[in-house]
Amino acid sequence: MARNGKYPSAHLNSKRQSTGMRPLIALSLVSVLILTFYIREGDAGPVHTARSVVTTATSPARFAGSLVAAPFNALGNVAANLTASQETLAELREQNEELTARVAELSESAKTAERLEDLLGLQSTYSLESTAARIIGGSSDAWTHTVTINKGTADGLALGMPVCNSNGVIGQIVECALNVSTVLLVNDETSGVSAMIQSSRAQGMLQGQPDGSLRLNYVPADAVVEVGDIVITSGIGGVFPKGLPLGTVSSVDKSANDVYYTITVRSQASAENNEEVLVITSLTTDQSASDTDIQAANSSPAGETTAKDDGSSDANGEG
Amino acid sequence: MRLHETGASSRTYAAMAIVACLLQVGIAPQISLFGGTFNFMVVLAVSLALTREVHASVVCGFLCGLFFDLTSAVPVGLMALVLTIGSFAVATMAHGMAPGMTVEGVRLAIASVVVVNIVYAVFLYVLGVQSDLMWALGHGVSGAVLDSLACLPFIAAGGGSAPTRGFTARSGGSRLKGLK
Repeated sequence: MARNGKYPSAHLNSKRQSTGMRPLIALSLVSVLILTFYIREGDAGPVHTARSVVTTATSPARFAGSLVAAPFNALGNVAANLTASQETLAELREQNEELTARVAELSESAKTAERLEDLLGLQSTYSLESTAARIIGGSSDAWTHTVTINKGTADGLALGMPVCNSNGVIGQIVECALNVSTVLLVNDETSGVSAMIQSSRAQGMLQGQPDGSLRLNYVPADAVVEVGDIVITSGIGGVFPKGLPLGTVSSVDKSANDVYYTITVRSQASAENNEEVLVITSLTTDQSASDTDIQAANSSPAGETTAKDDGSSDANGEG
Repeated sequence: MRLHETGASSRTYAAMAIVACLLQVGIAPQISLFGGTFNFMVVLAVSLALTREVHASVVCGFLCGLFFDLTSAVPVGLMALVLTIGSFAVATMAHGMAPGMTVEGVRLAIASVVVVNIVYAVFLYVLGVQSDLMWALGHGVSGAVLDSLACLPFIAAGGGSAPTRGFTARSGGSRLKGLK
C-alpha cells in the first residue's frame, strides 16, 4: 500500500505488468535511441563497435555456413537463371557455349589457380598494394547488395578500402570486424564511384539502382559516349585507384533538352560466393587523380580529349 | 492459476533460438531467391510470440530484431523496433489460441511475417536506405514468402512444448476487473 494505494496487493500489481505494455514502451524507446545513435554517430561509435564485436563473434558460423553452402551454389545459379530475362539468358547461353569448351577439362583447383593468377595479374598490372581475400557469404537481408569476405582488421583491412576481382571493381568495405569484413557492392543503390568513359574521358558518377543495375550519372550531354565503351574508375575522391574497369556501356539515352546522358552500365565484375578478391590496402600517388584531373573534371567534365591511347596509360596507373 | 514455463519447454525455446541464430548468420547469407532472403529472426520472434506470454514475447522480439540488425548491413535498431511492436501485437492476438500447427496459428504467423517485412521495407524507404518504394516492397514480399515457409517448422517445434494457457493468463480478464 505504501507504493501504490490503488492496488491492494503486489500480486495483482505484477499481473497488470503482464500486459506487456511497459516492456513494449521501454524497448521501443531503446530501439529508437539505438537507431538514432547509429544514424548520428561516426564509424567508430558505440553502436558500430557493438556490430563489429557481434560480427567477429559470429564469424565462425559464417565460415561454417560458407563451407556448407559451397556445394549448393550451383542450385542458386539455377534459381537465378529462372528469374533472369530472356535477353540475358540468350546472351548467357552464347557465352556458356563458348566457355564450356574452354573450361570443360579444368578441375576446380585449376579454376582457383586461374582466378588467383588473374588477381595477381591485376595486382601487377595496376601495381596495387593489396591483400587477397575470399567471399564467404552474401547479404543477410533482401534490401542491400553486400558480400562478406574472410579478412578483417587483423589482416590490415580498414573501412573504405576498395575491393576488386580479376574483372574489376566490385565494391568497398563498409563494415570491418576483426576477421571478417562487409563489402558494399557497386550495384547497391547507396553506392557511388567516380568514373569515366575510357575512350572520351567523360567523367561521371557510377551509381547502383534499386533493381541492381548500374547507371553512370552526370555525364554531360555534349560528351562522346557510345554503347560498348568501357567505364573505368577516375580516381577522383582518392578511394579507388584510377583506371580500374567497372563495366561497359549497355545503353545511352539523351532527350533533346537534357543536360546529362542517361547511361546504363553492365558490370564486368560479379561477386560470387567462394571467389577470391583483392582488397586494395593503399594507393600510390600516381594511382590517385592528379590535381590536373580534378581541375579538368570541375571545369570541363566532358573532357576535351578523345585519346585513343588512354587505355594503356590507365592500365599502368598513370595519371 | 499462474502460468509458468516448464524446464522442457525452456530448453526447447533455447534450442529454437540457437538454431535460428545459427541459420541467420550461417545460412541466410548464402540463400537468395527471387530477390528475397530468409530472416530467421523474424521467424523466431513470431513463432515465440504465438506461444509465449506478451511480456516475454516483447523482450524476445526486441532481442531477435537487435541480433538481426547487428549481423546485417542495415540500420541498427530498426528491426528491433519493428519486431518489438510486432511481437506485442502477435502475442496479444494469439491469446487463447491453441498452440502448435493450428490453422489460426499458421494464418496469424504468415500474416505477421508479411506485415513485418512490408513495414520494415517502408521504414527503409522513409529512412532513405531504399530510394524506390516498389522495389523495397518487392524485396519485402519475397522475403515474407521465404519467412512464411521457414515459420512452419518453428511453429511446430514451439507448439509442441508450449505451456497450456489458462483464461487467467489474460491480464485485465474478468476475474480482475472487479479489483481495479
